[in-house]
Order: sequence, then C-alpha cells, then structure tokens
Amino acid sequence: MNRPDGDLTPCVEVLDSLLRIIDGEGFEPFQQEAYDVHLVQCSPCQAELSHESFMRLLLQDVLRRICCESAPSELHEALRQQIRGQMYGVSEVVTEFRMTEISIEIDEFGQIEHREITIEHTQEIRFPDENQ
Amino acid sequence: MTSMDLVKESSADRTLRFERDALAYTNQLYAAALRYTKNPDDAKDLVQDTFLKAFSSFHQFEPGTNLKAWLYRVLTTTFINSYRKDQRRPQLSSTEIKDWHLAAAASHTSDQGKSAEVAALENLPDSDIKRALQDIPEDFRIAVYLADVEGFSYKEIAEIVGVPTGTVMSRLSRGRKALRERLTEYAKELGYNTSRKKKVKP
Repeated sequence: MNRPDGDLTPCVEVLDSLLRIIDGEGFEPFQQEAYDVHLVQCSPCQAELSHESFMRLLLQDVLRRICCESAPSELHEALRQQIRGQMYGVSEVVTEFRMTEISIEIDEFGQIEHREITIEHTQEIRFPDENQ
Repeated sequence: MTSMDLVKESSADRTLRFERDALAYTNQLYAAALRYTKNPDDAKDLVQDTFLKAFSSFHQFEPGTNLKAWLYRVLTTTFINSYRKDQRRPQLSSTEIKDWHLAAAASHTSDQGKSAEVAALENLPDSDIKRALQDIPEDFRIAVYLADVEGFSYKEIAEIVGVPTGTVMSRLSRGRKALRERLTEYAKELGYNTSRKKKVKP
C-alpha cells in the first residue's frame, strides 16, 4: 500500500483503536500522534471516526434520557429510617443459650411420664449513640 | 477532613455525613439498580442492601476520594454476589480480552449502514431503547451503563466491577455494538426508513 510520508499506521490498527480514540483513554501519547498522522491523510478512517464519535454522543444522550428514574419516595424514607435507626441506637434480641431437657420415665406399672424443660437465656443488646 | 478527625468523629456525625453525602446518590443508584435487576422490587432491595453495606463500612471510606465510584462498587458487587439470576452462569472468559478488538469495526462501514444506525437512535421510542438495553448480556450492559450513563473511566469501571481494564474495553466495545445492532433491527422491524436509498426521479 502506497502511503504518504510519515504515516506508518495501517487502517486496521486505527479502526481497532476507535473505541479508545473516541473515549480518549487507554493508549499512550505516542500512539495518539500516530493515529492523528494517519487520520489527517485517510478520509475513510476519518469518516469512520466522525461517525463513531457522533454515535457515541447520540447513544450517550439517549441512554441518559431514558435512565433517569427517581427512586420511589418510600425507598427514600426507608433508607433514612434505616440509617437513623443505626444512629439513635438499635436494639437486638439475641438468644445466647437454649436447651431442652426431655425425660421419659416408665415406672414399674408401665406408666409413662414425659417431662420437658426448656432453659433459655436471652439478652437484649442495645447500641446506643455514643454521645448520649 | 484528616484521618485524625475521622477517629474522633462520633457515630452521630458519621450518620449525618452519610445522609448528606451518600444518600444524595439514591436516585442515581436506583436507576442503575433498575438496569441491573430489570425490575423495580429487586432494584429497591438492591439499593437498600447497598446503602446498609456502605453505611457499615463508611468509616473505612476515605473522605475526598470518589464517593460515587465507591458506592457503585458496593452496588455492583452486591448485585453480582446476591442478585444475579443465575449464579452458575458461565462468566465471560479471559479470551474476551484477546478478541475484544474483533468486535470493533474491522473495516470501513458503508454510508448506508451509518445512516441506518443514526436513524434508529434518533427515531426509536424510549421503550424500545430500554428493551434493547435489557436484552444485551448483563456484563456488557453494566459496562455500557457505567461508561455512557455514569461517565466512569475504564480504570474506574475496572475497579467497580472487579475485572482488568482490558476486559472493560472488551465489554464496552461489544456492548455498544450489540446495542446499536439491536436498535437498528428494531428500527427495521418498525419500518423506519433506515436504508435510505437515493431514488432517481424519472
């Protein structure tokens, strides 16, 4: 391929790099220079770049327009309450220990006696605000 | 605020700071959560989970650094770990890094193809664009959302999603391409004049 002086970059390399050129990141400054030299001299690549740049902006505009739902008010409220709850002290009931004793006794007359004893140790933990 | 101030910060102050700075992103995170989960109930739950997690580790967040990116990281990891519909879905493999450039335009496209894409984006109703965004693979959708709606850089997206920058570029390139193709298809189905051929009048 007969290229004008100074341009050593093949079209395919520039086309491959369009994403990064358009986003303006992900390559070194010397690469940018090489792309610029090529783009000045290659009108098909130039057309490709301007189309891709335009499409990127268009897509961005359209996506930003449709992706702007506001959170429902009950979500805002729930979040505030959740966070405030943490601040003013939350209490949590924790069962630390639980045991059930079952005893079954059969006496000499064949009578069955069944007993169940449950022992439970419960603790309420408070997380008060440390300033109060 | 220095790290010394942070140590002295009371939980009340921290709560107020969280309300003021972090909860300000509720609407934005909700809109993102809608794109991630595709339904309002899951989106609400995801945002609540995200803020609870963020609040419990807010003391670790360094003020002055990017709070928005930090919140998006919590949102995205929470989504990936708990809300993904199919946890066993095979993840995109590392080969996507190698062939990411294949997804880019390998040759110059025709003028006709170009005008079809523009016409689709300019004419399609919002509902179709939302549908197209929902239809593209999840990893692509997240990358496109973070880059094009939120304006995060490749590096920021890499940190938010927890993948290398090369993977971000791959997903972004393929995601945008998939989205544009889908929109052009919809436009064709709806009969928009996407292949404008110049007719010579007799």
